[in-house]
Amino acid sequence: MVNDNTLFVSVGNSATAPHQRPFSCTISPVVLFAVLDHYLRRDNKQEKVIGALLGVRSPDGTEVEIRNTFSAIYTEEDAQIVLDKEHYNNMHDLHQRVNPEEQILGWYTTGPNLTPASAPLHTVFAQDTGNFRPIHVTFDTEQLLKSDDMGVQAYTSAPVGFSTKPGDCLYLPVPCDIKYVDAERSGLDMLASAKSTESRSVSLLSDMDHLEIAIGKLQEMLQRISEYVDSVVTGKEKPNNAIGRYIMDTVSVVPKVDSASFEKMFNSHLQDLLMVVYLANMTRTQLSVAERLNLLVSN
Amino acid sequence: MATSLPASEPLNAVQLDGLVVLKIIKHCRESYPNDVTGQLLGLDEKGTLEVTNCFPFPSDCDENASAQYQLDMMRCLRAVNVDNNTVGWYRSAHLGNFVDSNLIDTQYSYQKSLSAHSAVIIHDVSKSAAQGNLSLRAFRLTDAFMKQYESKKFTTESLAKAKLSFSTIFEELPIQVHNSHLVTLMLHNIEMPKLDASRLRSPATFAQHTELDDAKPLSPNFDVLDLELDPFMQKNLEYLLDCSDVQQQELNNYQYWQRSVAREQTKMQAWLTKRRQENQIRVEKGQQPLPEDEVNTLFKLPTEPSRLDNMILTAQMHNFTKQLNQFAGPSLARLYSIQELQK
Repeated sequence: MVNDNTLFVSVGNSATAPHQRPFSCTISPVVLFAVLDHYLRRDNKQEKVIGALLGVRSPDGTEVEIRNTFSAIYTEEDAQIVLDKEHYNNMHDLHQRVNPEEQILGWYTTGPNLTPASAPLHTVFAQDTGNFRPIHVTFDTEQLLKSDDMGVQAYTSAPVGFSTKPGDCLYLPVPCDIKYVDAERSGLDMLASAKSTESRSVSLLSDMDHLEIAIGKLQEMLQRISEYVDSVVTGKEKPNNAIGRYIMDTVSVVPKVDSASFEKMFNSHLQDLLMVVYLANMTRTQLSVAERLNLLVSN
Repeated sequence: MATSLPASEPLNAVQLDGLVVLKIIKHCRESYPNDVTGQLLGLDEKGTLEVTNCFPFPSDCDENASAQYQLDMMRCLRAVNVDNNTVGWYRSAHLGNFVDSNLIDTQYSYQKSLSAHSAVIIHDVSKSAAQGNLSLRAFRLTDAFMKQYESKKFTTESLAKAKLSFSTIFEELPIQVHNSHLVTLMLHNIEMPKLDASRLRSPATFAQHTELDDAKPLSPNFDVLDLELDPFMQKNLEYLLDCSDVQQQELNNYQYWQRSVAREQTKMQAWLTKRRQENQIRVEKGQQPLPEDEVNTLFKLPTEPSRLDNMILTAQMHNFTKQLNQFAGPSLARLYSIQELQK
């Protein structure tokens, strides 16, 4: 999903300066889910959906982070796509109230290619992005079905030709990454575990189960590595220096502590934990006793 | 708003869409130290509450503005075919400190005005970050508690009669997460890149960060194996102590009430005996005995303070202790596995 074609526009005049610098954009997973959901719920007559992208931009305009989206409605009149301005403005205001620092960065559409019809829409969104060019992202749902790829393509625009309308421009593809934070990661993991089940749903795990699964995965990885090492030693596979180096690095990460001090650390940690558990249980029994007594009191 | 319709089947599970989970996480994480709320939209079907979308509330607005915001947002969302039906609300929390009167008030008004099937979802931000395990819980108020809350009487007697105590305020519902087909496809496509073994470059130094170390989506998540116990436990214990302090104050109030009742009663008794003696003398003299019922109008028993706060605090403390217990289990497991690794 990392698109490596960073297009460097060659040195030109200052009017095209922002496009010379390498430009990257990151998408958060919420955006993907929201777009697919919007696509699922579209009216039967419309083949594709359109919406706006919200997020933050770094001060010099080279890094863009897309954090949120909202959907927009459009109608097709005479092969021209016309956006419902009122709905768009309403949604924008509502989102601004919750998240004042997210600004409109651009717009998205589902559907495989850029079409000439997208030019006037680009103009519309350009009004809201301030001095910067709006970003256009396409989600190709057909590609999602047929291949292994994500089907997400991001573009920024560079003016072309003599007209001053921002819509007449050249679309430059831009590398686009999916990034996320810790808390989102646990959520995403859980959603991903649903992908292999029959009904596409999964219930939440308790902490203990989660730990069990993580340890299971670790064991499996260690198993694979030790099998690989065994097969190299017996000569079945050709040794690969790079992999060997990685393995050596990983194994040396386990800290070497002499056993006496380790015993001490371990025991003190254990005692702390057990004491806290004991106190917590005592509080609990107190609370339950009080509860029973209260229920008996009046009679 | 319409009065609550009789429920056709009791609610026994909550099903969330993947989108809802991510949106809740995002909103709660972005406003970290503050508690934020939002609305859940979806369908109520055959004993399961299906939540298909949600939107956050702005944190700084009052009653009227927020009602207006809700209406506007629902109208806009309806235009894009999102389910227009409110089924509950969500709230962020930190280390389990979510049981307070605010929660109960809001949930009560939702259950009363919308439908008996609304639920509140609590997302615990700090717990999810600490353990690498998503913490989402769904609650609704039990029917017995709702009835009691309506009558607004929380004396010890009425609670004992209704068999209510802190553990029966809320009932917890199991949560399931559900993905649509398209999303499932997308999840299959986000995978770790396959590296070609022959083209690997060996790391020049130990500390070098290659592209492998950047977090790729869906690479195995080993945060849960972190050994650091202290911050989580410390915070939890602090909260527990604060709670017990407040609980102590409430108990003091209650005892003060009890003592004042006892005082009033002794006064009443003394007055009654005096009255009876007077009456005896009057009867001997042949006069009418004075009535004894005046005792009730002369002395007023102070009213019992509401036990609701007490119940809420005990519920909260119970929650904290349960959390400590739950945290301790995996921590013990982690400690022992480290011991094995050292051998």
